[in-house]
Amino acid sequence: MSTTSGYDAIVLGAGHNGLTAAAYLARAGRSVLVLERRDRVGGSVDTVELAPGVHAPAVAHTVGRLRPAIARELDLKAHGLTLIAPDVRAFAPQPDGRGIALWQDTAATQASLRAWSEVDAAAFAEFDTRVRSLARFLADLGEEAPPDVRDPGFGDALMGLRLGRAFKGLGRDGGRTILRVLAMAVADFVGESFETDPIRAVLAWRGVRHTAMGPWSAGTTKVLLDDAAGSDGGASGETVYARGGPGALADALAAAARAAGAEIRTGAEVVAVTSVDGRATGVALASGEEITARAVVAGMDPKRLLTTLVDPVAIGPSLRWRASNIRTPGKVAKVNLVLDGLPDFPAAADDQRLLRGRILVGMTGIDALERVFDTTKYGDLSDHLIVEATIPSLADPTLVAEVTEGTHVLSAHVQWVPATPRDGTWDDHREELGDAVLRTLESVAPGLTGRVQARQVLTPLDLERDYGLTGGHPLHVEPGLDSFFAWRPLLGHARYRIALDGLFLAGSGAHPGGGVTGVPGRNAARVVLDDLRRRR
Amino acid sequence: MPQRYDAVIIGGGHNGLVSAAYLARAGLRTVVLERRHVLGGAAVTEEIVPGFRFSVASYVVSLLRPEIIRDLRLPEHGLDILPLDGTFTPLPEGAGAHTGGPDYLWRVNDHGRTVRELRRWSKNDAEAYEEYGQLMVEMARFIKPILGIVPGDPTDLDPRPLLPLAGLARSFGRLTERQQAVFVQLMTMSAADFLDQWFETDPLKATMSASGIIGTYQGIRSPGTAYVLLHHYMGEIDGAFRAWGIPKGGTGGVSLSIASAARALGAEIRTEAPVARILTRGDRATGVVLEDGEEIEASAVLSSADAKVTFLDLLEPGTLDASFEQEVRRFKFRGSSGKVNIAVDRLPDFTCLPGPGEHLRGAISFSPSMDDMERAYDDAKYGRWSRKPYIDMIIPTLVDPQMAPPGKHVISCFVQYAPYKLDPSLGTWDDNREAFGDTVIDRIAEFAPNIRDIIIGRQVLTPLDIERTMGLTEGNIFQGELSLEQLFFNRPVPGYARFRTPVRDLWLSGSSTHPGGGLMGANGRLAALEVLRSRGRKVGIR
Repeated sequence: MSTTSGYDAIVLGAGHNGLTAAAYLARAGRSVLVLERRDRVGGSVDTVELAPGVHAPAVAHTVGRLRPAIARELDLKAHGLTLIAPDVRAFAPQPDGRGIALWQDTAATQASLRAWSEVDAAAFAEFDTRVRSLARFLADLGEEAPPDVRDPGFGDALMGLRLGRAFKGLGRDGGRTILRVLAMAVADFVGESFETDPIRAVLAWRGVRHTAMGPWSAGTTKVLLDDAAGSDGGASGETVYARGGPGALADALAAAARAAGAEIRTGAEVVAVTSVDGRATGVALASGEEITARAVVAGMDPKRLLTTLVDPVAIGPSLRWRASNIRTPGKVAKVNLVLDGLPDFPAAADDQRLLRGRILVGMTGIDALERVFDTTKYGDLSDHLIVEATIPSLADPTLVAEVTEGTHVLSAHVQWVPATPRDGTWDDHREELGDAVLRTLESVAPGLTGRVQARQVLTPLDLERDYGLTGGHPLHVEPGLDSFFAWRPLLGHARYRIALDGLFLAGSGAHPGGGVTGVPGRNAARVVLDDLRRRR
Repeated sequence: MPQRYDAVIIGGGHNGLVSAAYLARAGLRTVVLERRHVLGGAAVTEEIVPGFRFSVASYVVSLLRPEIIRDLRLPEHGLDILPLDGTFTPLPEGAGAHTGGPDYLWRVNDHGRTVRELRRWSKNDAEAYEEYGQLMVEMARFIKPILGIVPGDPTDLDPRPLLPLAGLARSFGRLTERQQAVFVQLMTMSAADFLDQWFETDPLKATMSASGIIGTYQGIRSPGTAYVLLHHYMGEIDGAFRAWGIPKGGTGGVSLSIASAARALGAEIRTEAPVARILTRGDRATGVVLEDGEEIEASAVLSSADAKVTFLDLLEPGTLDASFEQEVRRFKFRGSSGKVNIAVDRLPDFTCLPGPGEHLRGAISFSPSMDDMERAYDDAKYGRWSRKPYIDMIIPTLVDPQMAPPGKHVISCFVQYAPYKLDPSLGTWDDNREAFGDTVIDRIAEFAPNIRDIIIGRQVLTPLDIERTMGLTEGNIFQGELSLEQLFFNRPVPGYARFRTPVRDLWLSGSSTHPGGGLMGANGRLAALEVLRSRGRKVGIR
C-alpha cells in the first residue's frame, strides 16, 4: 500500500460539478487531484458511441442551464466548447396530428399557441415574464451558500440582507407571488394562466422532469422555476447542445482544470474517505493506494458519500440515520437510438426546424402526465410513457459525420418508470422498457421503429451502476420541498461543508441542486478556498 | 329603524359563536345570525333517524383550544368531552402478522400495550414507536404556539406584525439539529415518506398517515401531508381538558356550550336568520341585510362563512378590486370527503376480532395498506369516489349511550375520497348519492359482514350535500384546502391573513383563516381579539 500526499484538495468524481470545482480551485493556485471511477470524465454529462462512428448523448442531452458566468470565467470556448442553440426550444406533437411549438422568440410561440387558444396565446407573454422574474430570484438564491439556520453569524446576516434585497427586488406582488407559488403543484401554477390542457402539460413538464413527482405534487412549481433560473429559458425552457455531444462540455471543463494545473485520474475508484478525529484527511482507492489532502471535495451524491465512503463512527449514528433517509427515488430512464433516417413526425409536416429542439411526446394533458406517474407508485411500467426526445444530429451533424448520409441519433429522456419493478430487477425488464418507449414514439412518429439500427436502454438500475447515481436519481437527491436551500441535502449540512471538517459536497445533491448548471461546484469551490485560507 | 350593534357575526358555527362570546365578554353589543334552524354549522347534532342523534358532519373534537375552554368556562355550560381510546385497523385475510384468519392492528393510549402489539409485527417498529412518540411530542410542543399567532405579512415593510414569528424562530434555534431537521421534514414531506423513515409495518404507516389526508384533496404520498401527523400529539399535550375525544351530545354539544357561554356573556343569537348581503358604505362594512329584508347595522361585521361565500356571494359585486377578487377565486376548496351516518340495532361484528369489545370504543380505521390509501386518492384525482375508500368509523353510543335508544347504536363514518367535482360521465352527486353510500357499506362489509343486517337507517352526505346544508363551498370541511400555499400568511389571501379584509370593518373569522379547519375555535378567537385590538383594547394573546 502506497501513500501519495501533498494535495490541497482531492475532488471525488469528474462529473460537471466536480470538474467545475476542480477548475476553480486550480485557478486559485491550489494543488488539485480529481479522481474518477469511470474510464472517462463527465459523469452524466457523457457522450456515448452507440454504433461505430455514431455518437449520442448518454444521459443528459442538453447543456443550456450551464451558467454563462462559469463558461466565461473558465473560458470554456477556448477549451473547445461550442454551443448550438436552435430557434425552437420544444415541440410537442399531439396524437391528432397537431402540435405545440415553443420558440426562443415569444411572438413565434404565441403564434403557435394561437392555433389552440387565443386566450392562452395572450396569457403566454405575461406567464413568461412572471416565470423569468421569479426564476431570477431563485438564481440569486442559487449563487449563495445558504445561511446557517443553526446559529446565524455575521456572514449569514449579510446574506440575509442580500436575499432580502433580492426579495424586495421582486416588489410586493412578486414577493407575495413567490411565497404563494413555490410550494404549489405545477398543475395549479399553469392552470392559473392557461385553459388548454395540452398547453398546460407542455408548460408544466419542466416542473416534474427528472423528479419522482407528478404535476399535482406540491412543490413542483419550485422545480419549474429552478429550471428557468440562471438561463434564458423562461417559460419555454432552454435547448442548447454541446457540439460533439454533452461529453464535449466535460472535456472543456477538464481541459480548463488541467490548464490551471489540476491533475485528473480516471479509472481511479475511491473506496473510503479517510479521517482522523472528525477531520477528513484524504481518500483510499480500490487499488489500496491512499492519498492525503487538506480538503476532500465530493462530486457524487451525498447518500453514497455519507453511507458508503465515510467512516460511520466518525459521523455518528444520528447523521448516518439522516443520510440513509435522503430520498433518491430514480423514476427516469434513458433510451438512445441510432436511426437510418429522419423519422416522419406528421405534426411537424415538413418543417424540419421543429425537430431540432426538445420533442415532447405523450404530453396531451396534465392528467395524462399524472396517470403515468401514478403507475410508478405501485412498481408498474406504463405501456405508454412520457418522453422528452432530442435528435441532436439535426443541429449537430458532427455526431454522425463518420457514417452514411442520413443517419440520425435520437436521445429519449423517459419518465416515469418505477424505481424498482414490482417483480424481479430492471435487468429482467430492460427490453420491455425499450419497447414501451418505441411504442410511445410511434404514437407521434409512425414507422420510427422500422428505422432503428441500434438502441441503448438505461434503466434506473443502470444509471445507478454505470453512473454511480444512488437509486438512479439524475438529480442526486429528489428536489422536493424537503430538500431545498438551507436543507439540501441535510439541514445543518447545506453549506457545502458536510459531516466532517475538511469534507465538502460539490455535486447536485447540494444547493441549488441538480441539472447541468455547474453552480454547486462553483459555490463549493468558493467555500473550500475560504476554508483552506483560514487553515493556513 | 334598523337595529344597531357593535358587532354582527355571520354564521352560528363554532368559530362564529366563539367570536361572539369573546366580543360580548369585552362588552360589545353582539348578535350572531345563523341561516339554519340549528346552531353549530358543521359541528352540529341532529336527529336523523327517529330516536337516533348524530354528529352529522364534524364527529370528534380536534384541538379545541384549552384557552377557549378556560376563558369561556365551557364545562359550566355543558361541555363534556369523553375519551376516545385507540385506533383499531381491521385487516383482510393474508395481510396480517400471523397466518390463518384475518388479523388487525390495534393501538391504544396505553403505550405499553401498543408497543407489545407492535412487537407482534416488527421489533424495530416497536422500538421506533417510542422514539417517534417522544420526538413528535417535542415537535408539537415547539409548533403549538403557531395556533395562537396572527400571521404577519412577510412583504410588509412594518416588521412588528412579524414579531411573534421571531419568537418562534428563537425557539427553533433552541432545538437540536435533528429536531430542526425533523421539523422541516414535517412541513414539507408527505406523510408516507416521513413515516417510512421510522416504520416498516405497512398497516401501521397506512393508519398513521391517514390523519395527514383527512379533509384534504391529497394522498398520503403527496408532499405537505406530514404536518398534520403532529395534530394528534398537540392534542395529547393540551393537558387537563381533553382536546381529542367525543363530545357528550355530539359535536353539536360543543357548539351549544359555546352558544350558552356567549349568551351568558350577553351575546344575542338568532337562528333562521339567513344573511343576504353585507352592507357597505364607501370602503366600510356597515351591517347586513337578511333575506327577508331586515337590516342590521353594526360597526363591525365578522363573517365566519368561508372566503368564497363572504367575498363573492355576500358582498355587492364590484365592492372588491379585481386583483383581490382574482386571488379569492384562486383560493382552492376541492372538497374531498363524504359522511355516512348509520343507525344500527346492534354492533358491527369484525371477522378479525369477533364480538363486542374495547376495540369498538375508539376509532376504527379502514386503512389496511398504504397502496389502498393511495389508490383511493388516485380514484378521486380523476373525478370518481374511491372504490375502496378510507373510512374513519366511530361508534359514539359506546361512550355516550344517550345518542340512541337503549341497546341501539349510531355509527359515524367519515369517508375519503369523495371529490366535489365528479367526472361528467358519472353525472351529478344527486345521481350518485346512494351508489356512494353503497360503496361505503360494501367496504365495511369486507371486514364486518353483518353490517348490512343491522342497519335501521342511514344518511349519506356527499360533498354537494355538505355544501348545500352547511354552506361550505365545494363541501370542503376546512373552508379551503389545507395545502402548503394556502396556510399561514397565505390563508386565505396573501396580505390578508390577519382576519382583516380589504373592506374596513369586515372581518373573516372562520376556518378560511389561519390556523385552518378543525373543531379548534382558534380562528374565531383570534379574529375577535384582532377586532378588539383594532379598537384599542388591550388583549393578551397566549
